[in-house]
Amino acid sequence: MKRGHFVQLLAVNSALPLIILTLSACPPAPPSPPDPVLEGERLFFNETFAGNGRTCGTCHRAEDNFGLTPAFIAMLPPDDALFVAETNPDLANNFENPTLMRAFGLILENQDGFDDLANNFNMRGIPHTLALRTSVNSAQGPQTGWSGDGAPGDGSLRSFTTGAVIQHFTLTTNRIPGIDFRLPTDDELDAIEAFMLSVGRQEDLTLPLALKGVIASRGQEIFLDNTLGKCNACHANAGANGDPAIFGPTAGNLNFNTGVEDLPDQPADLTGEPNPPDDGQGTPGNGAFNTPPLVEAADTGPFFHNNSVETIEGAVAFYNGDAFNNSPAGQLIAGATGSGINLDATQVVAVAAFLRVVNALENIREAIALLDASPPASSERRTTLLARARAEADDAIFVLRGGGLHPEAVTHLTASRDLIDQVLSRYSASRIREAIEAQERARNELVTTN
Amino acid sequence: MHKRIIGFVTLVLLAAGASQALGQEQTERYIPIGQSPGISGIYAYLGAITGVDQSARTVTVQDEQGNARTIRIPDDARIWLDRSAQKETNLTGSFADLQVGRTIEVKYKDRERREEADWVKVAVVAGG
Repeated sequence: MKRGHFVQLLAVNSALPLIILTLSACPPAPPSPPDPVLEGERLFFNETFAGNGRTCGTCHRAEDNFGLTPAFIAMLPPDDALFVAETNPDLANNFENPTLMRAFGLILENQDGFDDLANNFNMRGIPHTLALRTSVNSAQGPQTGWSGDGAPGDGSLRSFTTGAVIQHFTLTTNRIPGIDFRLPTDDELDAIEAFMLSVGRQEDLTLPLALKGVIASRGQEIFLDNTLGKCNACHANAGANGDPAIFGPTAGNLNFNTGVEDLPDQPADLTGEPNPPDDGQGTPGNGAFNTPPLVEAADTGPFFHNNSVETIEGAVAFYNGDAFNNSPAGQLIAGATGSGINLDATQVVAVAAFLRVVNALENIREAIALLDASPPASSERRTTLLARARAEADDAIFVLRGGGLHPEAVTHLTASRDLIDQVLSRYSASRIREAIEAQERARNELVTTN
Repeated sequence: MHKRIIGFVTLVLLAAGASQALGQEQTERYIPIGQSPGISGIYAYLGAITGVDQSARTVTVQDEQGNARTIRIPDDARIWLDRSAQKETNLTGSFADLQVGRTIEVKYKDRERREEADWVKVAVVAGG
């Protein structure tokens, strides 16, 4: 040992009792603040705000693409908080319509006011909360909910939670804060917003993609063609924003009256249940509804604000029909381009195939991200991440198989899902790596990547 | 092509117009005075009513610091009665409910000019 080192060691040893004394005299270090995203996730799925038992996650299920479909509802136990209108006598009237909820996934909203609960309401589907970072901002301010005006306060995504608590979490329809629910604190609003913004895609695609399938490739061409599909004008890059080349660089997310309310034979109407017309944005409404992102569309049906169309092919075909082409938005398109939208069946299927493939690519991207994050996580956290990765694999299989697309990719995705199942029963880092590789093989079937 | 560009410009203008009517916000009614997220203390004025002009549809509001401001309440401004302090449900009100001495919160319609109300919450005392 060199002398210098010895002196240093001696000095340290001499100081050690003092250091220990000093440390023991110090107050314990304050706990580090919780990660806002993780805290927001905890609140999103667990916090009832002293209300009827619902949480944000009651309707925005992680396993169901942060939305809620009739098929998922059918699997829930009778005492699930979703069904409070069936189990809480104070909410038996004018809070939900259980028939329409169970059959079509429709939720009751009083977006035009609370003075006449028996008559002044609308039945709306539950929009997913994926890719909100790409779909809320607009030149007119934040657009939240189906008609873009769902939030109280400053209308922001942050404030949306407060409105949701008042509308959906209340113990009675008196809606008295401090009795029927508590309002979220500023910190809680911050955390929930941080979590919501973290979910799903964080940026828009850049089209065109180098797709390998001929049908999806043709669908992409039609989608982007402003003389044929005309889809990209309002869903730029298959997202939720207006094409900057048409609407300006800061237009962002837009609202349109596309005539969905004028569709004949809407499923909810066929039941004979009360289902007043929905006037969309504002009070009284202007008939306009919010433009949703399309990348996440194929696995998040039913479609439109009233869940009136079940399949992605039906949703594309809607733009061929009278309801759209006679609507204010349809008339604008016709005036701007010289004609309405008029696709033949093969073209409708091609556009839908394109949307199925971009959806599957997003499923794969998300699944890989979740699988990548799972090894270092705690056991409980890992199970959550793996379950979500499995759901993404399942969705990719669903959307591709539903369109008869890319059977080889479906095989790889099925293999990945099986591997995830194995990891869920018994953790194995190498199996996670294999599951990721299977996802990558599936992606290579769909698109050429650099 | 030229016609198409002109057409799309029209589309831009009309679509932008269609998006101006933000402000459904009906759940705002149930949020007590001073607690509106992103609004209270920022784009709203809170104080006591010190004057009411029925014909001009204005109220004068004095805040805790003693600053007074006169704000117009247009016909389309929503007026809510905040009864949360009495643990009763909040109600829709009218201009007649804006009475001297009551606590009021006014959200401005125009955040810059701060002259007109978008919505008004007025605290109703027990029995009031």
